[in-house]
Amino acid sequence: MQSLADEQQRALEALANAHDLDELDVVRQTFTGKRSVLAAQQAAMRDLDDAERRSAGQAINAFKTAFQDAFDVRFAVLETEALERTLRAQRRDLTIPAKRVAPGRPHLLRQIEDDIVNIFVGMGYEVAEGPEAESGVFNFDLLNIEKDHPARQEMDTIYVAGYDDVVLRTHTSPVQARVMTSRTPPIAVVCPGRTYRADAVDATHSPVFSQVEGLVVAEQVTMADLRGTLLAFTRRMFGNDREIRLRPSFFPFTEPSAEVDVSFGGRGGNDGWLEVLGAGMVDPNVLTACGIDPDRYSGFAFGIGIERVAMLKHNVRDIRAFFDADARFLAHF
Amino acid sequence: MKLPLSWLNTFLDVQLDVDTVVSWFNAHGLEVEEVTHPATGVSGVKTAIVDAFVSHPDADRLRVVTVADGTDTFQVVCGASNFAVGDVVAHAHPGGFVPGVVHADGTQGMILEARELRGVASHGMLASARELGLGDEHGGILLLAPDTPLGVDITTLAALGEPVIEIAVQPDRGDHLSVLGIARDLAAIIPCGYSAPTVSTIPTGLTHPVTLATSSCATFVTVTLEGSVNAVTPLWMKQRLAQSGMRSISPVVDVTNFVMLELGQPLHAFDHDTINGPLVVRNATDGEMLVTLDGQARTLTTHDIVITDDDGPVSLAGVMGGERTEVTATTTRVLLEAAVWEPQVIRATARRLGLASEASSRFERAVDPNGAARAVARAADLIGQITGATIVHTDTVNPAQVLSWSKRDTLNASAARIAQLIALPLDANAQAALLQRSGSEVTVDGDMLTVTPPSWRSDLSRMADLAEEIARLHGYDTIPATLPNVGTVGGRSQAQLAYDDALYAALAAGFHEARTRPFVGERALAAVLPSQGRVQLANPLAQDASAMRPSLADGLVEALRRNHGQGRPGVALVELGRIFRPADDPLADVLDATCTGWRWSGPDGTALPIQPRVIGFAAHGLRHGTDWIEPDLFWQVDDVLSVIDEIFRRLTNDRAVTNRLERQPVVRDGFHPSRSVILTYDGVELGFCGELHPREAQNRDLPHAVVVGELLLEPLLQQITANGVAAVQSVVFPRHPARMVDVAIIAEEQHSFAQIAGQVRIAAGTLLDEMWLFDEYRGDQIGEGRTSFALRLRLQSSERQLTDNDAETVIDAVATAVGAIGAELRR
Repeated sequence: MQSLADEQQRALEALANAHDLDELDVVRQTFTGKRSVLAAQQAAMRDLDDAERRSAGQAINAFKTAFQDAFDVRFAVLETEALERTLRAQRRDLTIPAKRVAPGRPHLLRQIEDDIVNIFVGMGYEVAEGPEAESGVFNFDLLNIEKDHPARQEMDTIYVAGYDDVVLRTHTSPVQARVMTSRTPPIAVVCPGRTYRADAVDATHSPVFSQVEGLVVAEQVTMADLRGTLLAFTRRMFGNDREIRLRPSFFPFTEPSAEVDVSFGGRGGNDGWLEVLGAGMVDPNVLTACGIDPDRYSGFAFGIGIERVAMLKHNVRDIRAFFDADARFLAHF
Repeated sequence: MKLPLSWLNTFLDVQLDVDTVVSWFNAHGLEVEEVTHPATGVSGVKTAIVDAFVSHPDADRLRVVTVADGTDTFQVVCGASNFAVGDVVAHAHPGGFVPGVVHADGTQGMILEARELRGVASHGMLASARELGLGDEHGGILLLAPDTPLGVDITTLAALGEPVIEIAVQPDRGDHLSVLGIARDLAAIIPCGYSAPTVSTIPTGLTHPVTLATSSCATFVTVTLEGSVNAVTPLWMKQRLAQSGMRSISPVVDVTNFVMLELGQPLHAFDHDTINGPLVVRNATDGEMLVTLDGQARTLTTHDIVITDDDGPVSLAGVMGGERTEVTATTTRVLLEAAVWEPQVIRATARRLGLASEASSRFERAVDPNGAARAVARAADLIGQITGATIVHTDTVNPAQVLSWSKRDTLNASAARIAQLIALPLDANAQAALLQRSGSEVTVDGDMLTVTPPSWRSDLSRMADLAEEIARLHGYDTIPATLPNVGTVGGRSQAQLAYDDALYAALAAGFHEARTRPFVGERALAAVLPSQGRVQLANPLAQDASAMRPSLADGLVEALRRNHGQGRPGVALVELGRIFRPADDPLADVLDATCTGWRWSGPDGTALPIQPRVIGFAAHGLRHGTDWIEPDLFWQVDDVLSVIDEIFRRLTNDRAVTNRLERQPVVRDGFHPSRSVILTYDGVELGFCGELHPREAQNRDLPHAVVVGELLLEPLLQQITANGVAAVQSVVFPRHPARMVDVAIIAEEQHSFAQIAGQVRIAAGTLLDEMWLFDEYRGDQIGEGRTSFALRLRLQSSERQLTDNDAETVIDAVATAVGAIGAELRR
């Protein structure tokens, strides 16, 4: 009969030499299976007397405990190795492009429009809308642009056939007229939208373009309020280091009127001034025509060309890019 | 208005450099468009006299000219023939530079060299006005006055290359259309003194009988001159005209144009001998004809004003003179005329005839009603100086009463109100001082200003105009910056937010937002509720842009075509915007049936064209990513339908999968007959989605399936506007364990999946939590024309754990329900 002590020595060596879980299982069967020394020793127990049986029993238990402990340790090692091998085999190149369709992007003009509108919404403005095929009365007459006023011709209006005096709105100011004729002050609205002029298409002209106009009418609104509002807008839109410059100008619907330049290259316009928008105090004729008492109320209005802002801010050189729907342009911003 | 700096300075008490002038202008209401330096760089050009010329031996159109500069003679080959022996010309010597030569590649300027032309040596060239940068005349060489000294550099005769400031004149500032007017305004701005040119006092006497038979003429001033007017316009005047963008024509015409530029008052010169009988100023009769100076026969109407003699019209008032009475080289008696015309009348005539002249553009913006006499005297003086003709008499004819449109009314305004509006701390006296600077007569009584504007300022008629004038002169840059204290609550409306939400749903699915030009031609593809109705444009920019889009489909499909042309493997686009139909289009009935408040109308209630807000989709080619392509994965109708479903759920504020527009197969012009559906809401078509007909796709050079979808957002947005948005209510989700049940249903050809799914939902009842389609099979095993749909049902109860029995009950119910419509549960 072989001694369990020797057997234990051999068993522990065999466990240590098992290279994978299959070999480890063979070792387990060899040393604890039916044909193992352990099994023979256990079988021999019944022929022993009590004292021998006790001693043999202790030896058997000692062997079992020692084997199981060593087995568990080795199993854990080999199992981890096996998992690692599996995981290595499951390697995926995660630099391969994910087969997902990326979300689309909002049009640059919408991004700019949203930026502009959001600034004014933050200052307490509502957003007003109106039709693009518009009555000449709202587009011109109520805005102090008489039938044969030179400004009316300069706007290069596109007219709708088959209607009496319906035009493609030349600005979003008719929305202001709609607001003023239907509501009472205080009024603070911005009017974003598409506008039209009979301009032949080239790098700087488009028959369709877009504007955000703003209108404030209340008691005691001053030109300083206009300047302050536009300064706040400019700094939000273009940066806190910007300054604005108001230059006297003419619009039929405002008096006094101003072209507004924004400084580039910091305060004082080190790199010059760029004309960004037109503005002014609402002409009393407009207030009267829209049913608002000009002796009680005053107001200001301004108009911002969205394409122009987009071109300035993003260095877009050709206005046609906005309307050609080239997917490269659409996905670029 | 082009303003030579040196001309401006002649009227000012101070001499200003160009940068100073430009900054004054910009800050105080004269918008500078650009500063140019015409005729810059002219060198090596000297005056010379033509001694002799012969034809070139080898070229009929060339002359070999001998010119002399008083010291030497030179041989020059010249292509022009507008000169004679004894004429003084501009001779550009070899090594000299002429800036106005335009090369074939568009570049300008030429350094001269001695060379041979067809075998004959040419010592430089004889220059035209254009070659020297003195205007655009190139019909012949520049001829100088006979008394011009010879052999002198031309730059000593005229300040070539000096700055010319171009100003965008505002429509209400006709007084800025003259050098004097601008000098006067600049003097008010700075402030400094200015002076107008002095003119001779001309004896008053009968010039020619004139009758004013119209209320559109405020004054009619004439001067007569006698003697030949055949002369050469002096170089300095030619240069002024060229700098201002006008052509030199003849001394008399040049003088009238020069004085118009200088003083702002248009003038006309008649050959006095060609006028037959008294002049009558009246409205034209309908159909009356006049051949104007440009050789065009004009048909007139009663809205036009004409100057007539016994033989009919001789001049179209304020716009252009007539050919019959034109001054020519043989004229020996000149009748000069300066009148003041009613702006609206001249504007209407110029507009109707498409004849915007330098004169009409000034009358339209109102000329100084007191400026005619001075202008006509100034012109007479200059004609006398240049031609030697003698001034005879002047005469002024005025209407019996001052006409209302030419009056400058006195107005009253509160200084406090003005100060408040422009936010400048200026009292009545300070405001009066500013107004006086620009020529107004002002009296102050406490807070009240009483202002009579100067005759040249037709734009000052109301308190607001005075406010602008005061702010302008004081400087807009002195106005402080504050924020208005209005007290409004701002924000976007629920409907406006929902409109944006529709876009974001589409973006999330991979569609890029496009903006297309909303014009279409005769044939335009339409997706939702197509009709023949078009909103036609009266003055379209192009034939293929003659109407407003009736649908977003056409513009988007064209955009796909352009992208495919750029070699894009696949593109998906979404656009939000308005579509346009006539007011009575059938689309109106659909909108009326689904919402109110959608129609726009004019102030008198007349309906404008229909212009509802719509979202449109178009996709074509591979549904690829930014850096991968699956060669068989194409954009499909389903991709658009799923987005439309999501938009509908968002805008109706009900996220349930069953909350969607019903899809009904449709055969529609231009689209695939068995891959198109309309999307209905309560049986009314609100949307369309389908594949373009392969032939239509082929016509547009699009090789793959073209998916087009369009949804009317207007009814959904109007419902939000009318009803607001009900908050989505939370539900308690069941927590008992769920059971999955898979069923396969064999559908016959006539069944749509929607019908099958609907039956399954009914059968599963309240236990159904979610349901997914996971397989679709067609094949021999189930028989021709049939489809097997495999559905996975997630059953869950809020009350108890479900058992096998529950699952069996559902499956049995499904079998019965699908059986009821002729389909079959596959056991």
